[in-house]
Amino acid sequence: MKKAMLTLCAAAAAMTVGLTGALGGSQATPGVSAKIIKIGGTFPLTGAASSYAPIPRGMAAYFSYLNAQKGHKRGINGRQVQFIYYDDAYNPAQTVQQTQRLVEQDRVFALVGGLGTEPQLAVRDYLNQKQVPQIYVSTGATTFGSDQARHPWTVGWQPDYQAEGALYGKTIAHDNPNAKIAIIVQNDDYGNDYIAGFKAGLGHKQDQIVSTRGFQVTDPSVASQLTDLKRSGADTLMIFATPAKTIQTYATLARIGWKPDIYVNSVSATDAFMTTAVKLAGADTVNGSISVEYLKDPANPKWASDAGMQLYRKIMAQFLPDANANDGLYLYGMAKAYSFAQAVVKTGSNLTRANFMNAVLNMTDKTNPFALPGVVIKTGKKDAFPISQMKMIKFNNGTWTETGSLVNGRGK
Amino acid sequence: MQRVRVDAALVGRLAALAAAALFVGLYPLFVSSYKASEFVLVGIYFIAILGLNILSGYNGQISLGHGAFMGIGAYTTAILVSKYHVGELWTIPLAALVAGTIGFLFGFPALRLSGVYLALATFGLAVAFVQLTQSFHFASFTGGGTGLSIGLPKTPYYLTWGIAGGMFCVAWLLLRGRIGRAFTAVRDAPLAAVSSGVSLAAYKTLAFGISAAYAGVAGSLFAMRYGFINPLEFSVALSILLLTGAALGGLGSLEGMIFGALFIQYAPGYGEKISKTAPSVMYGVILLAVLFVVPGGAAQLLKRLRRLLKQAAKPLYSRLGTPAVETAATSTRSEK
Repeated sequence: MKKAMLTLCAAAAAMTVGLTGALGGSQATPGVSAKIIKIGGTFPLTGAASSYAPIPRGMAAYFSYLNAQKGHKRGINGRQVQFIYYDDAYNPAQTVQQTQRLVEQDRVFALVGGLGTEPQLAVRDYLNQKQVPQIYVSTGATTFGSDQARHPWTVGWQPDYQAEGALYGKTIAHDNPNAKIAIIVQNDDYGNDYIAGFKAGLGHKQDQIVSTRGFQVTDPSVASQLTDLKRSGADTLMIFATPAKTIQTYATLARIGWKPDIYVNSVSATDAFMTTAVKLAGADTVNGSISVEYLKDPANPKWASDAGMQLYRKIMAQFLPDANANDGLYLYGMAKAYSFAQAVVKTGSNLTRANFMNAVLNMTDKTNPFALPGVVIKTGKKDAFPISQMKMIKFNNGTWTETGSLVNGRGK
Repeated sequence: MQRVRVDAALVGRLAALAAAALFVGLYPLFVSSYKASEFVLVGIYFIAILGLNILSGYNGQISLGHGAFMGIGAYTTAILVSKYHVGELWTIPLAALVAGTIGFLFGFPALRLSGVYLALATFGLAVAFVQLTQSFHFASFTGGGTGLSIGLPKTPYYLTWGIAGGMFCVAWLLLRGRIGRAFTAVRDAPLAAVSSGVSLAAYKTLAFGISAAYAGVAGSLFAMRYGFINPLEFSVALSILLLTGAALGGLGSLEGMIFGALFIQYAPGYGEKISKTAPSVMYGVILLAVLFVVPGGAAQLLKRLRRLLKQAAKPLYSRLGTPAVETAATSTRSEK
């Protein structure tokens, strides 16, 4: 019987050759018929990053709204939108698996809005090799726009982190050229992106940076970093950190009694996170913080009578009645879905992946009802950064107020 | 005569295995490339929990850190391929070696711990692995939080299943011999084992080493399948998933692991269909239900089924005058 077992082993070993053959592709564009356009995306619906889950839901709500229109306005150019999104739990391995599922099994036309720097990096080569559009990714990592030459099928959407950092740099160099600047930064690609942009924005004022301290996402505390920064004699603090660490920074500032001018990156500057920061650190420390925005903020009462905001509220009430409509991430999703619809319209009657990418990279859209008035979603053959305009905002007593006019973060 | 009767049971078992091998061999010819790529993962998980079963099922040591050993294997392959341009296939034995060595060394502190304390220590390993690989200090080596890319996702179908088949045979040969008996003796009666000259330290660390080497091979294949690895992929959740799969397949049964692997790969997907917000809850409920009904996992279920069938067939056999076969089911063989 040992012999029999060994024979089986030998048979198993004999199989250890070759790979499965690739499936032959069909002629027609996948995911597109006369009546339907099928797209997909991966998002963290469960796990530590599941607070981003409103994004795909907001997108889906906007597509449902389009699909429910009457007559020639129904869907996009008469095609119903099917938006399939899967949970990747912010795990890049699952992103690969689910993206393959969308491309090879569901045969979607394009991937729209996929979330997360690492998860989307994990599928970028695959999608480009398969020539499947990976557009409007939900991350501001600069590489998704700047690597256009090597990844022609990938396009970002929101202002990239470098552009945002540059804007802070330019603002400080202009408004407060003698500021002594301290930086607390997340020690990874995310933080490095911001630093690179910030230094470029400061230009010859780079010497004004008196101290920079980094932390790991996994560090339990940022107290020692902030104590060092305070000791450096700085009067201005840049916070380049994700939400949890930003809140921790505010709390620590209150504890060590340091009140510099604070600039905080937009990722962490949403209404919900700032409210938590105020609870932990007190309004005194948080008030006066400066950040940027490019979309309308549903939590801000000033938009109550705005047509775009009313459309947003109407869609939320109809398709997501139980959701918290003040969460800006739903609006973020809708704004993105709107951009996608515009790109499909722009592509015109011959909807192939290549034609679609040409349209995506040749947009000038001033009509997005969810973006700040005046924001132009603009791309070109060598510009894969759809949104580059932002507005400086200042936090005071629970709300953000605009302090300046729209500026282009990528402008020279 | 005794031999012939025993062989009857073995033939049945071999036939089932051959059928399974045939199914695995032909599966990709009938399904889409995506389904085949999913089934590669079943093979990868199968290898990983075969190893976990050697440790937990046969040697009685629990591990909540096997995801980390898979991670070590995956990083070995990714670093060798991306930084030193070693051929992918060569990295498989190296991944086994690296993970196995680290597992063997981890076996020493494990000697002083048992039960829930060992579970906690291995849990710590799983947590530390993610933090270490993410850490900025090793980023030039591990790629930090961004991870490492070694190319495009692939479907190494026959490679994975060939190795899985081979490693199944190795585990089977290993466990049915002297080493296997020593493992179970250490598990069931450590005092008796020591007094019969079995070294606790040697066999406990050996079990850890072998088990980790299996996980390392699984991790290496995992890296090839995805072409991109990142610390987040080897989180504590993976370790827990592996242990759940092993328990569900049936600790102490090698064949049962195939069911455990199928569960690990497909159950979360079905959970997601039932509830989009909390698939892991559904998955936990299913797990609890199974553990309450058949604590021995799928293997026990199969055994029960087999016994039922035999009892049903018994009157038939006696009428036909065929020799009774049931002895085979209950016989515990000790001969080589």
